[in-house]
Amino acid sequence: MTNHHPMRPDPIPLRDALRGLRHVMRRGGETLAETLPVSALPGPAAGLAGALLRGGGALVKSVDEVASSLAKKVLVGEEAHAPSLRAITRQQGADAAFAAACYAALRAALIRLDAGQVFVSETAARLAYQQAKPAADRAPEANAADLALAMIDQKVLRDIAAADAARLPPATLAPVTLFTVLLWLQSERPEDEDEAALDSAADLAMVLAPDVTAACAARDAARLAALFAEFASHV
Amino acid sequence: MSDPRPALRSGLLPPTNEPLRIAVRRLRWFRAAFTACVEATGRETGCRFAVDQTKLTEAFVAWLRAIDRQKPADKQDRRDFFEFAAALMLRELIAVMPLRALSAPDRVAAESPAAFWPEGHACTLFCLTVFTAASDQEFHDHPTLSADFGDLRHWWSFRENAGRDPAFAAGFLQLMLGHKPNWVMPDVFRQRLKQELAPPA
Repeated sequence: MTNHHPMRPDPIPLRDALRGLRHVMRRGGETLAETLPVSALPGPAAGLAGALLRGGGALVKSVDEVASSLAKKVLVGEEAHAPSLRAITRQQGADAAFAAACYAALRAALIRLDAGQVFVSETAARLAYQQAKPAADRAPEANAADLALAMIDQKVLRDIAAADAARLPPATLAPVTLFTVLLWLQSERPEDEDEAALDSAADLAMVLAPDVTAACAARDAARLAALFAEFASHV
Repeated sequence: MSDPRPALRSGLLPPTNEPLRIAVRRLRWFRAAFTACVEATGRETGCRFAVDQTKLTEAFVAWLRAIDRQKPADKQDRRDFFEFAAALMLRELIAVMPLRALSAPDRVAAESPAAFWPEGHACTLFCLTVFTAASDQEFHDHPTLSADFGDLRHWWSFRENAGRDPAFAAGFLQLMLGHKPNWVMPDVFRQRLKQELAPPA
C-alpha cells in the first residue's frame, strides 16, 4: 500500500520568515516611535502620525498571532524540555531538533543578557548543525566547539546592533550567548531545573567571556572544547 | 556567658538528590545555598544583604579551579581536603566579596563578629554550613567550631589581613575549625600536610 502524504512545506524557514517580519516590524516601530516628534507636530499631522504608529502596532500584533498560530499547528513546542546535546546527536532529524532547542534557549539567554532585540535564525542553527556534522561517538565538548564556530559562520544571531542596552559589548555578545546555550545543552538538568541551569550557564559564560571570545575569534576549537569540558558538569 | 559559636544548620541548604560534594560544584545549587544561608544569617542578625551574582559566579569559578589544582592524588587525604576545600571557598568569596550589607545588623551585640563585619561573617557561616553538612554526609563527622569563634581579635586580624591577602581567609577558616594553619601558605594543601606530618619539635 502506498501512502500519499500531501507535500508539506519545510516549517523552519517559514517560521524564520514570520519571526523576521515580526522583528523588522518591531524594530521599525520602535525606531519610528523614538524618532518621530509626534507631539511637536501641528494638530492634523500629529493625528495622522499617531494613527500610523498605532496601525503599525496592530500589524505587529497580527503577525505575532499568525506566527504563534502556525507554530502551534505545525511545529514542535518551543517550550518543551530540550534533550542533551548527546541525545540530540543520536536522534532522527537531529538538525531540526538542535535548531528548535537552540532557538528557544538562545531567546531566553538573550533576554537574560538584556539583548532580547537580537534576531535568532532557526534556519541558520540547522545549517550550522549540518556544517559541523556532530557525531554521536565523539565527545560532546568537541561537538559543541565545532557547533559554536559553525553557528558563528552561519550567523545564527543577527542584528546584534539592535541590542544597544545589552550587558555585553557587541563583539562579545554572540560568543557568550552561543557558549551559554551549548554549555546548557551539555549539562545534566532535570526538567524543573531547566531555567535555573540556563541562568547558571549564562553567568558562567559571562565570567568566562574573555576566554570564550578569544577562542571564538581565533577559531580555536580545542580551547572551546576544553572550556566546555571543564564547566559542563558545573552548571 | 552564652556560647558565642553559631549553630550551623544544614537544614537551610536546598534539597538535592545528589551528594552535597557534587551538588556544591553545580553553580545553580551553590548560589541557591549561598542565598539561603545569607538570608538566614540576615534574619538572625537583623541585616539585609545584596548579592552580586556575577561576583558570586567569579568566586565559584575560581574555587573550582583552585580545588582542581590542589586535589590530592592520595585517597587517604580526601577527608582532610574536604575541610581545605571549604577554606579555599572562603578565600575566593573574600577575594571578590559578592555581598554588600544594606543595613547595620540590629539584632546582635555591637561587639559581635556579625556587627563588626557582616559580609565576612555571613560568608564564613556559609562555608562552615556547607562543610559541616558535607562532612556529616560523607564521613559522619560533626566538626565543632573553635571556642574563639566570637573573639573579635581574630575577626579584626581576619579582616585586616584578608584585605591585603585573601589567602589569610583560608587560614582563618581552619583556625575556626580548631586547627593551627600554616600561616606562611595557609591556602596550599601540601604545606598543610607537611606541617601535620612533621614530627613535634
